[in-house]
Amino acid sequence: MNKTVLQIIRFVVLVLLQVLVINHIRLGGYVHPYIYLIFIMLLPFSTPKWQFLVLGFALGLSVDLFTGTPGLHAGATTLMAFSRPSIIKLISGNQKFENITEPNISQLGGLWFFRYALFLVLIHHFALFFLESFSFRLIGQVLLRILLSVPVSIFLIMMIMYIFKSEKKRE
Amino acid sequence: MQNLRRFILKYHFIILFILLEVISILLLANSQRFHRNRMVNTTNDVVGKVYEWSSEVGNYFRLNSANKQLAEENAMLRQQLSVVYDTTTCTYDIIKGDTLYKYIPAQVVNNSTNQVNNYIIINKGAKDGIERDMSVISTDGIVGVVTDVSRHYASIMSLLHSKSVVGVRFKNNQEIAGLKWQTNNYRYGMVEDIPTHIVLQKGDTIVTSSHSNIFPEDLMVGTVEEFYPTAVDALNKAKIRYATDFSTLRHVYVIKDLHKPELDSLKARLQ
Repeated sequence: MNKTVLQIIRFVVLVLLQVLVINHIRLGGYVHPYIYLIFIMLLPFSTPKWQFLVLGFALGLSVDLFTGTPGLHAGATTLMAFSRPSIIKLISGNQKFENITEPNISQLGGLWFFRYALFLVLIHHFALFFLESFSFRLIGQVLLRILLSVPVSIFLIMMIMYIFKSEKKRE
Repeated sequence: MQNLRRFILKYHFIILFILLEVISILLLANSQRFHRNRMVNTTNDVVGKVYEWSSEVGNYFRLNSANKQLAEENAMLRQQLSVVYDTTTCTYDIIKGDTLYKYIPAQVVNNSTNQVNNYIIINKGAKDGIERDMSVISTDGIVGVVTDVSRHYASIMSLLHSKSVVGVRFKNNQEIAGLKWQTNNYRYGMVEDIPTHIVLQKGDTIVTSSHSNIFPEDLMVGTVEEFYPTAVDALNKAKIRYATDFSTLRHVYVIKDLHKPELDSLKARLQ
């Protein structure tokens, strides 16, 4: 399948999955998992750096349109997209990605992807929940939200990655 | 000029990042300042449509309970009517010239309860006469305020919003207070400005006060769940259980205040 078409489908499916399904999961008042970040995580290594930012912004803004919070997810996702190259450098050191087009579990391993996802989700959730409260007044509540939401997000993201892992090999 | 170009090319990643972040924060600050989600109306229509498709699927599974709830409400209204006149024989003109409020029924197509600022989207919009700042109620109690209207849809700032403040009155002692949301539990709100001489019991009813510019008077808001008397502070607090169950909200009514233009023009003349 054409790579661009695949990316567009991924974008739309993840946004709809987030706003129509995941956003309606209620696990107490503090757990708000976000899985649409997978889109940024899976962008090919060869993507020009500026495209990360534009795509991150567009992705966040699409989610914002549905949740009625203009700028909230856009800001958090742009920050996450900005830090993606540094995070990859941080967790893989000088490792070269020959023959690997995009971050995935089958070629880089579950542990690598887990660490990768953990850093990015932490950055995104910190930015998101602080922007959401728009102040440091409710800092205890915000930290509790981050502490409880990050594991659930990671769990869902890893689950989705493992579900689609086998299909990757067949391609 | 050459230097500037080289500078931009070298640091384009950082520059673009800062630019996008500034745009995000401006958008966010703007929406927070106005306490409402101002969105381009066309997008709102597209978003509303997607939510409507998705809620249509869910609606089939809830038909039974929705029917039951509407039937109960019908029975209650019928009973109230029978106090005024005999429903079986009388052909009384209900909408009289001095009717204050018009009720527009609507269905919830999207709703959240777990954000800090929750919004509800309904399937009625400007086409059906819905305007900004109209109040919204459910069968059980008040729901929120219309903040934005597109042609076919409207978004409502739910009571479950960090900026939501409703003027309320305790039914048994007429005392007025302000109800806020604590941003963590969709069942409870908090009243923090109760004068010390007022003592409340669990189960006391609170209704909207006439001081609220948005809601008509005497609408059900909720009941006192817990009362916290404070020795040092000048004001007591009380935890309020909302009468409306926001997690299962399906049918709502938007209230059009027919006297509002008149009242507003009078207020404008006072200033």
